[in-house]
Amino acid sequence: MAITTSRDTHVPHGGPAGATRYYVVWILLLVGTVLTFLTSRIHLPSPWHLLLAMAIATGKSALVVLFFMHLWDHPGANRVVFGTSLVFVALLIGLVLLDNATRFVLTNPGHRGTLQMEPPGPDILTPRGWPEPSRRLDMPEAGEPGHSAPAPSGEGRQ
Amino acid sequence: MQSEGYVAHHFPNLAQQEHAARLGMWLFLTTEILLFTGLFTAYAVYRFLFPEAFAEASHLLSAPLGTVNTVVLITSSLTVALAYHFARHGAGRTAGLLLLATLAFAAAFLVIKGFEWTHDIHEGLLPGRYFIYPEFHAVGGPMFFTLYFLMTGLHGIHVVIGMAVLAVIAVQCFRGAYDHGYTTPVELGGMYWHLVDLVWIFLYPLLYLI
Repeated sequence: MAITTSRDTHVPHGGPAGATRYYVVWILLLVGTVLTFLTSRIHLPSPWHLLLAMAIATGKSALVVLFFMHLWDHPGANRVVFGTSLVFVALLIGLVLLDNATRFVLTNPGHRGTLQMEPPGPDILTPRGWPEPSRRLDMPEAGEPGHSAPAPSGEGRQ
Repeated sequence: MQSEGYVAHHFPNLAQQEHAARLGMWLFLTTEILLFTGLFTAYAVYRFLFPEAFAEASHLLSAPLGTVNTVVLITSSLTVALAYHFARHGAGRTAGLLLLATLAFAAAFLVIKGFEWTHDIHEGLLPGRYFIYPEFHAVGGPMFFTLYFLMTGLHGIHVVIGMAVLAVIAVQCFRGAYDHGYTTPVELGGMYWHLVDLVWIFLYPLLYLI
């Protein structure tokens, strides 16, 4: 059985009934678009382009959600539903990105080191032990600084 | 027919029926948001892995066309919002005309996108191993175009679905179906269209303006 509350009787979509705010939002959205385009053309240090563009896009979408989609007028459950979706958006993008950002770099595809590295040889997983250092293709020849692989400590496995 | 005639038997009044319909629409839009979030996540990961290639590949797209499309879509959102406004005030015919304007903007959006895709296909800017653009060798470029076609393609499908929904609502507007206080379809169809706009607001800087 449905329950009637006091909210049901009042006029929905309270506040200014005029269409003015739609035009205002539209102009703000156009300004945001132009701003996004212009700021993408100026020179900024690395993360700031993305952060600025995302900040403007978030502002624009807030205008769309609040006024075009009337979340401003519709409190309660609608806001909870939309807010919850944003939480899951943040969780999905944030955690997946965090996973990739905190990995051992060579496990990420496309890393320069991964692409240049050659397979260490067929013996790497066999019980015969580590391959001879001279036969290992991933060992640096002249010991470049910062590029040295750990020395194999497999004598005991022979 | 008075607006009470639209109330289903399990709702006490139209306001509560509207409230329930709106909540259901928000739940559906949430699933849509998370559907696109999957692609945005893939984009975030591969942009993190191949930042230079994504920046270089992005310059092969036409930023002016992307900007024009953004303006077109934002304006179409305005006409939908105005259509709902007029429908609520009993001006169904004006609402119908505004929805027709929305359909025209949506068609313009798809035509511009079609020109872009034609150009991309002719240049060999294609996903994965079909990527044959000669002057581009950075690793990750094909992945940018995989995501570009997936994201704009899924968005384009939503534009087409939105056009179909709004076309039906426009016809109903002209028939005077929403002149008596029952405007839920206009509102919910409009919400769907605004979501399409919302997704594009993020796609535009991420794809065209790296």
